[in-house]
Amino acid sequence: MRQTPLSPQMTIALPVLGAASILIAWQYILPLLGVPAYIVPTPTAIFGVFQRSFALLIDNLRPTLIEALAGFVIGNLAAVLLAVLFVHSRILQAAYFPIVLFFNTIPILALSPIIILIFGIGMTPKIVIAAVICFFPTLVNMIRGLDSASDNEHELFRVLSATRSEIFWGLRLPRALPMLFSSLRIASATAVIGAIVGEWIGSDKGLGALIIQATFNYQSDRLYAAIVLSSSLSIALFCIVVLIERRVIRY
Amino acid sequence: MAAIEARALDVGYGGRHAAVKVLAGLDLTVAAGSFLSILGPSGCGKSTLLRVVADLLDPLGGSISVLGETPHAVRSRRDVGFVFQDSTLLPWRTVRDNVRLPLGVGQRSLTRKIEDRSTELLELMGLGGLSERLPHQLSGGQRQRVAIARALLGEPKLLLMDEPFGALDEITRDRLNDELLALWRRTGTTILFVTHSIAEAAYLGERVIVLAANPGRVVKDLDMRSLKQEGNRCRREDAAIVAAMAELRAALERAT
Ligand SMILES: Nc1ncnc2c1ncn2[C@@H]1O[C@H](COP(=O)(O)OP(=O)(O)O)[C@@H](O)[C@H]1O
Ligand SMILES: [Mg+2]
Repeated sequence: MRQTPLSPQMTIALPVLGAASILIAWQYILPLLGVPAYIVPTPTAIFGVFQRSFALLIDNLRPTLIEALAGFVIGNLAAVLLAVLFVHSRILQAAYFPIVLFFNTIPILALSPIIILIFGIGMTPKIVIAAVICFFPTLVNMIRGLDSASDNEHELFRVLSATRSEIFWGLRLPRALPMLFSSLRIASATAVIGAIVGEWIGSDKGLGALIIQATFNYQSDRLYAAIVLSSSLSIALFCIVVLIERRVIRY
Repeated sequence: MAAIEARALDVGYGGRHAAVKVLAGLDLTVAAGSFLSILGPSGCGKSTLLRVVADLLDPLGGSISVLGETPHAVRSRRDVGFVFQDSTLLPWRTVRDNVRLPLGVGQRSLTRKIEDRSTELLELMGLGGLSERLPHQLSGGQRQRVAIARALLGEPKLLLMDEPFGALDEITRDRLNDELLALWRRTGTTILFVTHSIAEAAYLGERVIVLAANPGRVVKDLDMRSLKQEGNRCRREDAAIVAAMAELRAALERAT
């Protein structure tokens, strides 16, 4: 049996209530069960870190934000450009796409030390890791998107004697945008993961470094605060992507 | 001069070495300014024939001239308009911008010479109030009207229509049939109209041909002019039209 849809107020109220119920259980029931604060600190303890150590958190957020953003832009831009090249040259695509495929099978955790070896310890290797992690899904989606116009749509443009660049700008690219944005939405989370993974391996700055330090020092409230901040960063990036998508794709 | 003159036309997919010919030895002459309906079982090559005329596909053999020239020359001058069964509107463009597509696409020498008649055409197709809508906000019939307006913007001498009303309900389809005939009378454009509907073919065409499959060829060629009044006018229930439909049905059954 199909359920009746919820009213708009309820679709907003219910998730808020759901989250609140979990926070309340976390705050009051977990300590009662004897879970020690060094393993799971209470929400108020985590919130306390934001008050006490705000400057520390922001100082570590900044490099991660820059690395994730730069990696996001560079990785996706490179993927889009390569996809454009591939759909215009089947020969290049046939020659190099399998190699790209192979690189994609290397786990990013295995690749990261090499990238750090190559680029040293500054922000650059983290940006590269974030870029690499964004690159492949966008490449695949963009190739598919650029090829997704129907035969009839191509024939329509041919009947009008459209040039290759008119077909690209007027048909292939707009057709690819929905798929591009769906991979950008995924990349908004993975770029942050890439930056943090990079900071784990070789850094004393950034949310990744903060996570590692807090773990080794049993500062679990600080650890959880860093986690909250990382996921907030992903969510913020995600929201920006969605806002842009809504403006660009109106159908 | 004939609008289309095809002699011993062979057409297939997959280049010169194509194993199967979709059309083989097809002969067809279409008078300029006429309205030709094309019937035939699915897969017999109706769309393929339109593709050759529109220079979307090269024939393997035989000859074809369109408006006295090669299909390529005619397409390069953009004297051909094409309407597909699915309206093929670009979903990110408004109705008006879809109609104006021919203005923005194609070599400058071509786009310069056509003026923006989108307002007039939208009015003509009964879309006046819908020009700022997006395609997904239209009904199927409205979308097809937009597709026709777009095809007419460049004032084509030849209009190729591939089952344009095949997905519409009967009332909408009948109404669009009459609008199309009115347009054809006003513009003098040659129309090749592919359809699955015997009634539609008989009602619209000054002439109806039936293609058979494997390989595609003309198996019935019916001149409707003597059955209709001045200006290709008739009523769907006229006895002569009904009789012609029975004849076409018999040919179509033999061809299937
Ligand atoms: N792009 C294509 N490549 C290969 N074969 C095709 C292609 N398009 C159509 N065909 C084949 O050509 C035949 C005729 O197709 P088509 O002209 O679309 O038929 P109709 O429009 O009469 O239904 C069919 O057998 C179909 O399978
Ligand atoms: Mg067809």
